[in-house]
Amino acid sequence: MSKQEWLIGTRMPRVDSEPKVRGEVQFTADIKLPRMLHAKVLRSPYPHARIKSIDTTAAAALPGVKAIMTGQDTAGVKWGVFRYTRDQQLLPVDRVRYVGEEVAAVAAVSPEIAAQALELIEVKYEPLPAVSDIWESMADGAPQLHDDHPNNINVHVAIEVGDVEEGFAKAHLVREDVFTAPEDSYFMTEPYAVVANPRPDGSLELWMPNAAPHQKAKALSNALVMPLNKVIVRKVAIGGAFGGRSDVFPAEFITAFLALKTRRPVKLVYTREENSVATRQGHALFTTIKTGVDAEGRVLARDITCYMDGGAYSSTGPIATSVPFLCMEQTYRLPAVRYNGYRVYTNKPIGGMIRIHGRAFAGGVDLQLDMMAQELGLDPLQVRLRNARQPGDTTPTGSYVQSCALSQCIQQAAEAAGWADKYGKLPPYHGIGLGTNSVQTGFPLGIRGGSQAMIKFNEDGGATVMSGVVDNGQGNDNMLVQIAAEVLGLDPGHIQLISADTEATANDPGAYSMIATFAGGNAVLAAAEDARRQIFEVAAEALEAHVDDLVAQDSKVFVAGAPDKGLPVGKVIRMALIQGRPVIGTGSFTPKVDHRREWLSNPAGQLSETFSFGASVAEVRVDPETGMVELLGLWLAQDCGRALNPMVVEGQFEGGAAMGGVGGMLREEHRWSDTPRCLNPTFLEYKVPLACDMPPIENIIVESMDPTGPFGAKEAGMSIAMSAAQAIIGAVSNAIGAPVYDYPLTPDRVLRAIRAKQDGEKQS
Amino acid sequence: MSLAIKSQGLRMTVNGEPVELLVQPHETLLQVLRERLDLTGVKEGCGEGACGACTVLVDGLARRACLTLALEADGCSVLTVEGLADDQGLSIEQQAFIEAGAVQCGFCTPGMLLASHHLLEQNPRPDEAEIRRHLSGHICRCTGYAKIVEAVSNAAARKRGEEPS
Repeated sequence: MSKQEWLIGTRMPRVDSEPKVRGEVQFTADIKLPRMLHAKVLRSPYPHARIKSIDTTAAAALPGVKAIMTGQDTAGVKWGVFRYTRDQQLLPVDRVRYVGEEVAAVAAVSPEIAAQALELIEVKYEPLPAVSDIWESMADGAPQLHDDHPNNINVHVAIEVGDVEEGFAKAHLVREDVFTAPEDSYFMTEPYAVVANPRPDGSLELWMPNAAPHQKAKALSNALVMPLNKVIVRKVAIGGAFGGRSDVFPAEFITAFLALKTRRPVKLVYTREENSVATRQGHALFTTIKTGVDAEGRVLARDITCYMDGGAYSSTGPIATSVPFLCMEQTYRLPAVRYNGYRVYTNKPIGGMIRIHGRAFAGGVDLQLDMMAQELGLDPLQVRLRNARQPGDTTPTGSYVQSCALSQCIQQAAEAAGWADKYGKLPPYHGIGLGTNSVQTGFPLGIRGGSQAMIKFNEDGGATVMSGVVDNGQGNDNMLVQIAAEVLGLDPGHIQLISADTEATANDPGAYSMIATFAGGNAVLAAAEDARRQIFEVAAEALEAHVDDLVAQDSKVFVAGAPDKGLPVGKVIRMALIQGRPVIGTGSFTPKVDHRREWLSNPAGQLSETFSFGASVAEVRVDPETGMVELLGLWLAQDCGRALNPMVVEGQFEGGAAMGGVGGMLREEHRWSDTPRCLNPTFLEYKVPLACDMPPIENIIVESMDPTGPFGAKEAGMSIAMSAAQAIIGAVSNAIGAPVYDYPLTPDRVLRAIRAKQDGEKQS
Repeated sequence: MSLAIKSQGLRMTVNGEPVELLVQPHETLLQVLRERLDLTGVKEGCGEGACGACTVLVDGLARRACLTLALEADGCSVLTVEGLADDQGLSIEQQAFIEAGAVQCGFCTPGMLLASHHLLEQNPRPDEAEIRRHLSGHICRCTGYAKIVEAVSNAAARKRGEEPS
């Protein structure tokens, strides 16, 4: 990458933005096919019950109803991300485990008739005792959700590296604190939807918001017992994911099953409430953190025990239970660390990965460091810098860190925010805080961990790029086109993209765990370089030049410095066709990870080829009467490796700060009835940030130029979503002069912390 | 079926084209626009007027199509996102959204654009606080709103014949 890039690093408008502003892109619910039926799902009103019988006779007799399915039709086929976590029947046969779980489904000629038919299905339940929280659930004698998991412990991640007890013994200061947060949700603007269309050739095509078309296809191929090449997940516009579209849901199985049964297209569109309750939610967390530091604030040992409320089924359980720890061990140097993570079953909706997964984990780690810095009379900024991960380090569980500019992120964010003039110098109830975090670019995914891309050309010099990478809204389509256009010297408008269509595209790990740019981008980069080499070989003969001296730019190939004597790419393509050497570029990228690493049995070895790092600073004012937090500013710095498109990267920062920081740390939480039933599944009751809630934001892009990322890129924005939340905790605690342990920082929680401080002062 | 109530005639102008059709009294404007007229740029994000994705302009006023009965639009002129561009190309607001990077997943974009268009028709010189207040009936989960606010500010300047600052 020695040459100066012409398109990489520019604020190129996204290729998908014009169809989106025209309202012409199709999301799943917009799809309309001839003879299409509409599906609706009957859901459990009980948090825990045995299904004694289901009578569908009356529903089936309703005119317009074309098919009904219950668990009895499905042989109890199960889903789970891992072989050892397959605990969810895609349609339960005899038992339901949360309010909202799927019980039966109907396909009818209209959504109204399908809904009417649901009311005619008679289900006899035998209610069973339910558990609402992790403590109740883990108690001896509690109702057991799954037979093979005593005390309802779904997952236990146990990690221990170094001598933790020795570290505590040597420490100058040791603290132990507990941090908590309830469930939160994605609230992507597009509610979940699926369309399934059986085709005359025996294949089944499907559209749904997804974060990995190839993974969805594989799961459905298993569940439907169909060959993988007959289960086709198509490209569709996707209205956000944030971790909530990564898993496989009963919705696609139900829609596919009804379509195959009726031999007609079927569409299922979730309501907002269904999207909240019956896809995934963030986990509730209860985290105990014990840290020992030396007199300079260097961490010598840390011991963390975290309980996560996982809801009724495993989902991504082993990953979800590990990731908050992994982010922490990447962020900070830790000579000795112990982690016990427990994911606990309860009779609640299923917990999944979310953008700010672990707010009561990462937030606790940072706040505790601030408290210890204060006790030692140190500046928290210096303490962070003393513990910050450095390039060339190896994490406790054995990942080599090949690029890292965390210290620069911390310094630049602090400088931009005016930390030196503000920390400890602001008036009462006015505070400043710092958050730091790191995320992975992918996990070991075995045979599905690599991405493969292909580029073909037409005789007019236009190219078609094929890649399995999916775009959830973050700009992946543009990322692929921008990389290909850069290498091939083509205008982005001359590149047609076929992506995320499992019939056409080769494997790709998906757009989750922040892997899309690193794996998918690298695969397209390799394919484009392969195609360019073939183009240069043909052109070199015609131009009587050496391949190494050629340049591709402005749709021409020419000898460097002599653009006037160049050949149009279209002409080179036609020459290649006549010569019987057509240009087809292929490329693949498989991240270098340790495939022996396993979430539970062997949490050691290279987790991800590279990691991103971020630091955020928040400044707040707190109203001591009401507990209301006013955000005065956010300064966001991230080492994204290289900003392929700074405008897109900034959008990721700003969106991450809104969801993770402003929403995730100041207001977002689910509330529950005693049943337990989710009390706020819709936008009216669950408060996400609005335009008027956002503070001024300063974006600081830090480029560490990763040695193996495409043009040096890693991932954009994820470590901001998390560090912004951590920064707000620090700022609020700094403002009120007391730590706040329970999140999000709603007025009642902030007031409690202020009162606790005042009570403590009275007593002393 | 109990739902079979007598249909009634509905006449309106949608994106400049006259439309005449029979609708049920309980059908919403959202259903008619999306399902009968295939104007799927009108998005349903919540169905209860909270998210703003279904916003359309009815006689120039921003309305939640999901909370508006179709018959309420009888005799009215309706503008959806599909009607913002004309033969000359994209509207100034659309162009500004593209250039500022205000579009990510694009699901809230149609409602945001119509709200922006509505604002600039009423107030050609809104300050940042006014833009934020006007857009606060619209939920975007991707952008953090910064680039949307910037786009509206730029569009306002351009509509006034000025260069965006």
